[in-house]
Amino acid sequence: MSGRSEAPAAVSAVRRLGRNVLATPGRLWASFSRAGRPATDRSRSKFVFGNVFLHLHPARVHRWSLRWTTTWGLGIAALSAFLITLITGVLLMFYYKPYPSAAYNTIKDIHFVVPTGRFIRNIHRWAANVMVVTVLLHMARTFFTAAYRKPREFNWVVGMGLLALTLGLSFTGYLLPWDQLAYWAITIGANIAQSPRELTDALGITAYFDPGGFQKLILLGSTDVGEEALIRFYLFHVMLLPLGLVALLAVHFWRIRKDGGLVRPAGADERLGSVDPETYPVFTEAPDKTYHLAAVVKGRTPWVGRGPENTLPAMPHLFYAELAVLMLVVFLCVGLALLVDAPLKELANPDLPENPAKAPWYFLGLQELVSHSAFMGGIGIPAVVLVGLGLIPYLDRETHGTGEWFGGPGGLRLVALSAAVGLGSVLGIEAFAIRFGWLRTWWPDIPQLVITFVNPGTFLTVVYGVFSVWAVRRYDSTRAGALALFTCFLCGFIVLTIIGAHFRGPNWEFYWSPSHWPGH
Amino acid sequence: MTDRDDVVGSSESRLSPHPVARRDFLGLGALGSAAAAFLFATIGMLRLPKAAVLPSPSRRFKVVLPESLPFEEPYLAPGRHVALIRDAEGVFAVSNVCTHLGCIVKPSATGFYCPCHGSRFDRTGQVLAGPAPRPLPWLAVRKAGENTYVVDEEKEVPAGTKEVA
Amino acid sequence: MKANKYLLLWSSAATLVVLALAAFDENVTQEWRVLQREYRSRLEPPAAGEFAMQLRQVVVPSLGVVDRCPSCHVGMAPGEKGLPGDPVFSAHPDVGHDPANMGCVACHSGQGRATEKADAHGDVAFWPEPMIEPAYAYAGCGTCHTHLGVPNLEAFRRGIERLERYDCLACHRVDGRGGTLRPGAQGGFEGPDLSHVGVTGFRTDWYDTHLEQCGKVAEPAWCTAFGPIPEPDRAAIEAYLASCVGAPGLIEAKALFHSSGCRGCHAIDGVGGDDGPDLTRFGQKDPALLDFSGVPGEHTLPNWISAHFENPQRVVPGSQMPALGLSASDVERLTYYLMSLRGAGVPGRFWPQDRVRAEWLGEREFATDGATLYEAFCSACHGPGGEGMRYPGMAAFPAIGNPDFLAVASDRFIRVTIEKGRPGRRMPAWGELSGGLRPEEIDAVLAHLRKLGGVEGPSDHGPRRWVAGSAARGRRLYERYCAGCHGREGEGKEGPALANPRFQASATDTYLVETVQRGRRGTSMEGFAQASPVRPALDEADIESIITFVRTLESR
Repeated sequence: MSGRSEAPAAVSAVRRLGRNVLATPGRLWASFSRAGRPATDRSRSKFVFGNVFLHLHPARVHRWSLRWTTTWGLGIAALSAFLITLITGVLLMFYYKPYPSAAYNTIKDIHFVVPTGRFIRNIHRWAANVMVVTVLLHMARTFFTAAYRKPREFNWVVGMGLLALTLGLSFTGYLLPWDQLAYWAITIGANIAQSPRELTDALGITAYFDPGGFQKLILLGSTDVGEEALIRFYLFHVMLLPLGLVALLAVHFWRIRKDGGLVRPAGADERLGSVDPETYPVFTEAPDKTYHLAAVVKGRTPWVGRGPENTLPAMPHLFYAELAVLMLVVFLCVGLALLVDAPLKELANPDLPENPAKAPWYFLGLQELVSHSAFMGGIGIPAVVLVGLGLIPYLDRETHGTGEWFGGPGGLRLVALSAAVGLGSVLGIEAFAIRFGWLRTWWPDIPQLVITFVNPGTFLTVVYGVFSVWAVRRYDSTRAGALALFTCFLCGFIVLTIIGAHFRGPNWEFYWSPSHWPGH
Repeated sequence: MTDRDDVVGSSESRLSPHPVARRDFLGLGALGSAAAAFLFATIGMLRLPKAAVLPSPSRRFKVVLPESLPFEEPYLAPGRHVALIRDAEGVFAVSNVCTHLGCIVKPSATGFYCPCHGSRFDRTGQVLAGPAPRPLPWLAVRKAGENTYVVDEEKEVPAGTKEVA
Repeated sequence: MKANKYLLLWSSAATLVVLALAAFDENVTQEWRVLQREYRSRLEPPAAGEFAMQLRQVVVPSLGVVDRCPSCHVGMAPGEKGLPGDPVFSAHPDVGHDPANMGCVACHSGQGRATEKADAHGDVAFWPEPMIEPAYAYAGCGTCHTHLGVPNLEAFRRGIERLERYDCLACHRVDGRGGTLRPGAQGGFEGPDLSHVGVTGFRTDWYDTHLEQCGKVAEPAWCTAFGPIPEPDRAAIEAYLASCVGAPGLIEAKALFHSSGCRGCHAIDGVGGDDGPDLTRFGQKDPALLDFSGVPGEHTLPNWISAHFENPQRVVPGSQMPALGLSASDVERLTYYLMSLRGAGVPGRFWPQDRVRAEWLGEREFATDGATLYEAFCSACHGPGGEGMRYPGMAAFPAIGNPDFLAVASDRFIRVTIEKGRPGRRMPAWGELSGGLRPEEIDAVLAHLRKLGGVEGPSDHGPRRWVAGSAARGRRLYERYCAGCHGREGEGKEGPALANPRFQASATDTYLVETVQRGRRGTSMEGFAQASPVRPALDEADIESIITFVRTLESR
């Protein structure tokens, strides 16, 4: 090599150009990978942290984190679903026109004549639902393994934001087909946003202070759902919310690394036992470099001068796990998309409400509460729940049970008891309200303010709150209280959602099955 | 920065360097003005999503009642969500937008009902059942000729205000 | 790691299978592909080679038409040849409109953008306008056309009957009938097909031309087939010919509708009563919004309509509409007509002449002779001959053709009654701003009434109010003899509402007094000037007292 370069005159520039052209593919590949073929332990590590997309991962990952039962892959599943909606959503944007007179027709065209259009739209719809479910399950997993504790408190808060953005994305996407389903679901949603008026009206201050009316106006850009609302929802759906979600996701992932990776219980190393002989041993050759991270991470024991025991190279162990989850979610979405078409009803008709008019399924639990008080069910209780969830890591400062499923005082027994209390009280109060009605059935002239504060939703909130205070005292532990409260609300959410989705028919009356609805 | 309570012993270590000088007026002034500029710009941008005039059609409209409209039977103004009712005392207009979540109520034998959450109202808009927090508002009606009335959806009037037919 | 590798392997493989299935479904088994393959297989070799398998559509931006029906109905695609006689692939029959120019959905309804049969024909949930069934195919004409001046059924049928009586069908064809006689044997001349003559128009001197021709050709067939036709019969024939617009049966159905008095309660395009629902565009009603619990058979709009005609209360509980006792074929015809009440969303510049004349120039879709008007607007309640009507559960409707009534009712009284109606009772106001009838039309109805009763009206001069009896005595008499039918406060029960302000305003005292004196023969209203087995005769003073009292009811 050096001999040739010292004799430039021997080879003309033209010849060198030719040689460079021939060598370009190899050089391009070499420059692309930075570290060469990831064959050895070290080059694999370099492959990971030398790649802008992969370096979000640690170079090595603890064996505890790779166990299926640690996370069930729910975070990656949610991310996968998001990526699927992102790709299919961009594809749908090739055809979609966000204008009332055109929107519905473009969906019809996507359904009937765009090659793969129907399939892509179905996948988009299913992936959105899968995303909502996996995000909720991911939150439950994080809670039940007490993974929100220090130093991961703030990542839990970021997760709350991601949950809100996920629901927002799904909700804004609901309007875009501009069919009856969309129109009336959004009408209800927008009026839930307006429901603080229930309180301001009762206090007689709406004329001076009207946050409800303002929220609705910002959301719809008009008094009713119309072309302004459609373009706004489109803007939110394809631009603002995805940008926000991606930004928060970046923070969320970055914090996982900075907060010391996935949570694991204190005795994780002992419980894992010896390394599987098939896996790569740690540092088989003497390092001529030590890998380094960009910053000092939080944690008690920075790994300085110590080998990273019980870790495996992320490449390939973590990547196989992640890819497997990704493909599982892809399979789930395409499989559902093949079997069940995304719904599309008649063209939106502002004069003819759907009966029953139902919000997206994940809001049906709220709609069930809203059928008593719009403000309490739509704003009051959800706000209490979201703030309560966000505060959990700051109220529970214990360490016992971190990283364990249902870890903490009480454990699985307390969770089972809480589930029983949660299910029992929600089923009881719903059965009562369905059978006997509520305050206005008995006293038609009762002021709304009373119903706003006394309804099945507030009843449940109080019961759950009292029960969790009992748990705090019984186990002398804040974690026990959190376990009780979270489990109760989860049960309440599930039961109310199922009632709203399956057992409510025209005029929001109770039916054992949609086949009993009148007119069917 | 690490948690303050994690630091033990001398503060003169490399891990906890001296804090920056407290009285950096120039820096504070520069940062403060930048913050003020951003705040001002943000307030300006936040004003954008609320249009000064809503693009909805005029909320005032004229409606002709059929001569043979029986007393106390609601007449639905075409294309509007308002019911006009004539009785012995006069004519009044009741909004047909449910005060609960904005669905359009439909006339029933006793008054109106809402298909979304089952609120029921009597003919004068009073709540009989369901989650509606308020009665259906009465809207201003003005007579503008034989059987012709002008309804103003913007203007609510107290229940019981009837325009003499 | 092995478990993850297996998971990756299986989920990827499964995904591949699903994707392959989706690709197969989209590219091989779609209905239109299957059908186009069959179409191609039935083409002759050179055409089969040229035939391209692709989605076919008719796009007319100005009409908002995007119709993909020709993807399956290949024979109707622009530039393709149909397979004669095939239910799917045949070319469109010649109806004067080429689907390549105006699409399919405007006439047939259904979902033009769809490419699958069930969706395209609208036989799916969430499509508000399913295709019109073939039996009612010509109802689609109603989207754009409004046939003008349709007479009542009797006049219409007279035209058909005369056409047949004078043997016109020997040479001419109408809607596929006739044209059997070929004078001059094989290849000789035959008369033009008259099926579309209402659209294309015909010579006003056709009769003279025929006579002339008859004399000239000296062809024996002419002379036997064509004879002299008197003037009224010619007019009947011409009226019928004007209705030959290539929509067999539709105009007859409309004539039946006009004869059945439906418009007494139902308005169409602003003309008609308001007791029943407005029927404008009823033919485009979304079947999903109708209650089918009382309707046997499929959930289609025609089924609902015919079940409703047979028994209105079973289909719509609480309906005010009486069961009309129609024959099955009449139910079928009226259903056909209702299905033709369409017309949403066609831009004005595409309107055919008849529609423009109807909507912009104010021409009527019904004939404006008194008989047709009376049948269309009055006969359902007052009876085809003015004899009154009695439907179960309703107060009797007055017999306005009764000579006793016509003898005392002045023209002005009847005209004002028609124009203003009786608010609060079932008689709607028919003036131009309410029911939509014009003054000259009301006059025509009045003239027809006079003809029905054969009685001229009294002159309307003299004071309108002149009785001056004792109201107290009147009240006693009223309560004894009148309140049973007219109500204690004159609110009307079996008999008309005497307190009705419109009635009070238009009825003169002379009219009231004479009505009480003479009564109405053939109705429950007796003549009170004569004694009956149960009561003495009332003298003039009695009657004037009663009327004095009746006048006091006005202010209540």
